Amino acid sequence: MSNLRESTILTVHHWTDRLFSFTATRDPSFRFLSGQFVMIGLRTEAAPIMRAYSMVSPSYAEALEFLSIKVPDGPLTSRLKLVQPGDTLLLGAKSSGTLLTSNLVPGHRLFLISTGTGLAPFMSIIRDPEVYEQYDRVVLVHNCRTVEELAYRSLLTSELHTDEWIGTEVAQKLTYIPMVSREPFENQGRVTDWMRDGSLFNALGLATRHEAEDRFMVCGSPQMLTDFCGIMADWGFMEGSSNRPGQFVIERAFVDK
Amino acid sequence: MTYVVTEQCIKCKYTDCVEVCPVDCFREGDEMLVIDPETCIDCAVCEPACPVDAIRPDTHPDGIRWKELNERLSLIWQPVTVKSEPLPAAEGFAGEAGKFEKYLKQQLEP
Repeated sequence: MSNLRESTILTVHHWTDRLFSFTATRDPSFRFLSGQFVMIGLRTEAAPIMRAYSMVSPSYAEALEFLSIKVPDGPLTSRLKLVQPGDTLLLGAKSSGTLLTSNLVPGHRLFLISTGTGLAPFMSIIRDPEVYEQYDRVVLVHNCRTVEELAYRSLLTSELHTDEWIGTEVAQKLTYIPMVSREPFENQGRVTDWMRDGSLFNALGLATRHEAEDRFMVCGSPQMLTDFCGIMADWGFMEGSSNRPGQFVIERAFVDK
Repeated sequence: MTYVVTEQCIKCKYTDCVEVCPVDCFREGDEMLVIDPETCIDCAVCEPACPVDAIRPDTHPDGIRWKELNERLSLIWQPVTVKSEPLPAAEGFAGEAGKFEKYLKQQLEP
């Protein structure tokens, strides 16, 4: 791939033995929209290994942040999980992605539905002031298998509410719904089941979905995406794109192959 | 799996796809674009970007037939990374059936 730039790892945080996040320096000329991804990777003795990662950091942040799983024997993540501050990270020049509010027709509520590392692009979107100008309510669902996999939970439940830049909007308009599927938790189950039986809307004090008001962005596992698209088809919601905005957009969570 | 450009691109070439591709995997011929399967990362961003629905997964019933063509032409054609105007009569050709047989097949024969 052409146009690789070098960036420097600043911090690394290991959430679990399968999940970690890291920050890296950002070239001022590297621009992106909230919700987009970029190719990142590492130099090896052979060719560089690059994979697509969504930016966790807001588009106005000085540093870039990424969230990653650790795949045993994964060509990139088995190396990436070992990075230390000061190490070099390779970065593609071009950001891209479908999780943009401009791909949606206007609505009142924006649902951001994620599983696992699919949370990443939404961490950027929920810190974008523009999204709160476009929607009355932003609902972030993060569905994981276990409680310890609920990355950024503390940031989402407390620190962000006092953030000087975005705190007021977050406190007024953001609803964060952590969900866990494989162990006891206050919200136990799968988000797609909650969509089908109405629990997701009931949790917000609503009886059911409203086609004219509800918009969805989804990022997660292939299984969740399949279930979600089935629900959208049953409800008659249309997928949006840059040419033809719709009621929902999807992006797969990129896993290391 | 990767994505492929189908015959729906022929005589249209809207090139919206090249703007959104994170790995610059599009290659350009006079009449259409193709995807280099060695470079495509299967991110799916280009598929909805095409205004004439010319991009499909290579496993899709509408895509499978174009896999070999994309593989072959991506070795010959040059990378395209900047969007340009569609071909002059693009609107008239959008959605027309059998474009490969009509407009491209002969040119590609040795």
